[in-house]
Amino acid sequence: MVIYTYGVIDSKDTIDETIFGLEGAGVYNVSYRDIGVAVSELGEKMQEITDTNVLKHEEVIETLMTKFTVLPIRFSTIFNTKEELLLIVEFYYQDFKDNLDRLRNKVEFGIKVMWPAKIIKQRIAEVYNKRKFTVSIMADSPGKTFVKEKFEKHIIEKEFEEEAVRCIAVVDDYFNKIASERKIKKLQTENLLLNAAYLVGKDKQDDFKKAFEQLKSTPSDLKFLFSGPWPCYNFITLTKKPSSADYFNAEHMLNRLLAQQGLPERVQHDHEPRYLTGMNGGF
Amino acid sequence: MDRQIKTLQDKNSYLDLQKEKRITLLEVLDRALDKGVVISGDIVISVADVDLIYLGLKVLLSSVETMERLRGSPFSGAAEEPT
Repeated sequence: MVIYTYGVIDSKDTIDETIFGLEGAGVYNVSYRDIGVAVSELGEKMQEITDTNVLKHEEVIETLMTKFTVLPIRFSTIFNTKEELLLIVEFYYQDFKDNLDRLRNKVEFGIKVMWPAKIIKQRIAEVYNKRKFTVSIMADSPGKTFVKEKFEKHIIEKEFEEEAVRCIAVVDDYFNKIASERKIKKLQTENLLLNAAYLVGKDKQDDFKKAFEQLKSTPSDLKFLFSGPWPCYNFITLTKKPSSADYFNAEHMLNRLLAQQGLPERVQHDHEPRYLTGMNGGF
Repeated sequence: MDRQIKTLQDKNSYLDLQKEKRITLLEVLDRALDKGVVISGDIVISVADVDLIYLGLKVLLSSVETMERLRGSPFSGAAEEPT
């Protein structure tokens, strides 16, 4: 039996609603002070990436979102025991609290923008050729031709990047006044001009959707993918780094935590080191 | 003639629906596998007994593009709501 985690929630209370998670297992709250982690007890250590499993993970988080502020946990984060999970929650407690406060009543929207990279580059090349950028290199030898081509390619790439920045600024302008935070990724591939996530107040969702409709109705070469509202996957910032495995290694830390929870002291029968990475299914 | 057009439309709307489902899934994967609270150093996800989370994500990125290119149908407006 393992503890599969879905999300950190801003409540220590029992989850009233019956929610079925992965493997059809019930979802319940493992609480620590005034917060908790929504979990299921599963038989399998590893969760395969299947449509059903990933969508179920997401579905549980979205159901929880109707009642709580939720910090979605990455798919397939598993603990061997409840105590191990509580140890992690204790370690990140302040981070979790800060994120829960910051993300309260907020949702995430995704905006992906595709552009026809080939056509954009062709246009840039045409403009470049018209300008007749003579670098006083006459193409009269293979060496010079090579340098000229290199130079042209460099100019086109540079202009392509600059055009991307300009275009992203125009798109971003539609949303950044409405959103409270944003994460922007430029040109993850040549055609994927922008992959952005915006953090939006629940009361501003309609404004955000309207802004998208406006953007979409503006004639351009761009193609858009709008998605949301999502749990705030992209806006969780954990400042505390488990740089020292000692925290998780030290048996007395665990026993201190167990004592806090009113649980009996744990006796370690084996000599396995308690590394952080070992908490996730022993990998 | 009418019938033919209707069939074509049905086929298209079926493809659109399938595409929309696929995009929704991709968007979920993009988040649930790569983002969110990461509270452990090494999270291993098994895909048919092969551990390949990073490979998976690369496939994910390119697949949005591939889908767009192959289908040539409108990218905008799809997957308005993830659920």
